[in-house]
Amino acid sequence: MLPRDALGLGLRRPHYTHLFEHWPAVDYFEAISENFLTPALPPRERLDAVRARYPVVLHGVGLNLLGHAPLDEDYLDALGRLADRVDAPFVSDHLCWTGAHGVSHHDLLPTPYVPELIALAAERAAYVQRRLGRPFGLENLSSYVTFARSTMTEWDFYAAVVREAGCSFMLDVNNIYVSSQNHGFDPEDYLRAVDFSRVLQVHVAGHSREADGTLVDTHDHPVPDPVWSLYARAWRMGGPFPTLVEWDERIPPMPVVLAELDRAKGARA
Amino acid sequence: MITPPPPAWLAALQDRFGAVLRTPLARATGTLTAVVVAYDPDAVRDARDAHNATAAERLAVYNRQYWFRLFGVMQTAFPLTTRLLGHWRFNDYAARFLLAHPPHHWALDRVPDGFAPFLAEALDPSDAREALVEAARIDTAWRELFRAPAVAPFRPTAADAARLLDARLVPSPATALVAEHFPLLELKADLASIPGEAPVPAPARLPHPRWWMLLREPDGVRQLPLAPLEGELLALLARHTVRDALARLEAACTEAERDALPSHAQRWLARSVERGFWATLRGGG
Repeated sequence: MLPRDALGLGLRRPHYTHLFEHWPAVDYFEAISENFLTPALPPRERLDAVRARYPVVLHGVGLNLLGHAPLDEDYLDALGRLADRVDAPFVSDHLCWTGAHGVSHHDLLPTPYVPELIALAAERAAYVQRRLGRPFGLENLSSYVTFARSTMTEWDFYAAVVREAGCSFMLDVNNIYVSSQNHGFDPEDYLRAVDFSRVLQVHVAGHSREADGTLVDTHDHPVPDPVWSLYARAWRMGGPFPTLVEWDERIPPMPVVLAELDRAKGARA
Repeated sequence: MITPPPPAWLAALQDRFGAVLRTPLARATGTLTAVVVAYDPDAVRDARDAHNATAAERLAVYNRQYWFRLFGVMQTAFPLTTRLLGHWRFNDYAARFLLAHPPHHWALDRVPDGFAPFLAEALDPSDAREALVEAARIDTAWRELFRAPAVAPFRPTAADAARLLDARLVPSPATALVAEHFPLLELKADLASIPGEAPVPAPARLPHPRWWMLLREPDGVRQLPLAPLEGELLALLARHTVRDALARLEAACTEAERDALPSHAQRWLARSVERGFWATLRGGG
């Protein structure tokens, strides 16, 4: 397992040159699982080079946990092989659906939050954890819509799924902040629903604001102050926990992203 | 795995939501905009209005994200084609392709599969068609090199030498052979220094085709020029037995070329093996 106060970065291709020249002091990297599940050699060689020096955890975007169709067993086979290859301390994916009716939307999409879906999500998450043979964390989404059919809050739904599955939270405080602004709830209410003893990792990232004020989870900016404040609140409520900075679009040079790790240390003080 | 069956309403809701995502963006204003009136009213009713936006406006966030994400994937997979067409026109072709062939797999890098032949069919007569078709083919070759698994290069044994003439050489997936009729590989190398999204004019047709061998190496793609007949030989070898390939090349040669062909062909074949162009030898036993 990672040290509970570990600080990590999302592994991104634009940083490879800097990374392979400087091998910066980072406690661990998080790889997007799908980038390394195919047999293509170059990504695998690079991941092996990273793994030779750092722990690597896996973070997926394609599990489709809440899709109406059954989980993709071929996908899980490949994920299991990759997790074994890098000896991932844990694997995570999202409490969402990503495709339906044979079409993959390549987005993290919300469902209504209803008791009826808790057992479905929990049994699937428990199955994934058993099949991978290592801790499995579910990440909360950023979302832009809520559904008329919902009868419970997202945080109550999320906590119930994690509890019933016996899996873990992969808590994204940027996502909590973005959704709280978009849907008008208090992000601290969300944090209060989290059993921090079950938090595998916390993500922080930046977001964008659309003209109408809607926040979009773009991961293309530094982590903004309100997200650091919420992170600090989470740390006081349930730290220590491994923390990872994500930056996925308009990716700046690696030293800029590394500086975000220093900000995380500052937010913990 | 035994899990409770998902409720029927979930499949219906996801069907409606998916249709919203795939709703084409309008191009009439010169920017890509979501057309919320085109959304299924039931999909809009599934969602709630937010404090600062209607349900449809919030669904439009997902609708735009779907398209912009996939345009980005397509542009990354077809950088040369994108620059020749310009981003705006490329996105138009990409949208038509994606409407006809929505993604079916969790791997994002499979989204552009099949785009090159689609584009060849779909190009307007006003486009620099031949250069664009060739550009898409070069982009595809580049993509395939990076997607190839680890492959040990073919190193012939004495037994292979004995059956070589009647066997077929199989190219390594980590290599590609490119015949270009336009200097597009040069343009591809220059793209980084040509910023922007406007179309780059297609270069003039070359007086004679140029052949290249592309080899995936640890630090990128190595691009090796080939003599015209050498390129043609490798292309023939990839499709025919060695004996047939040599015969076809000889038949296509001029008188002057034919005299030197045996020694040249031997050297070109040996060089292609040394460079790791082949993965294996099939048949001939």
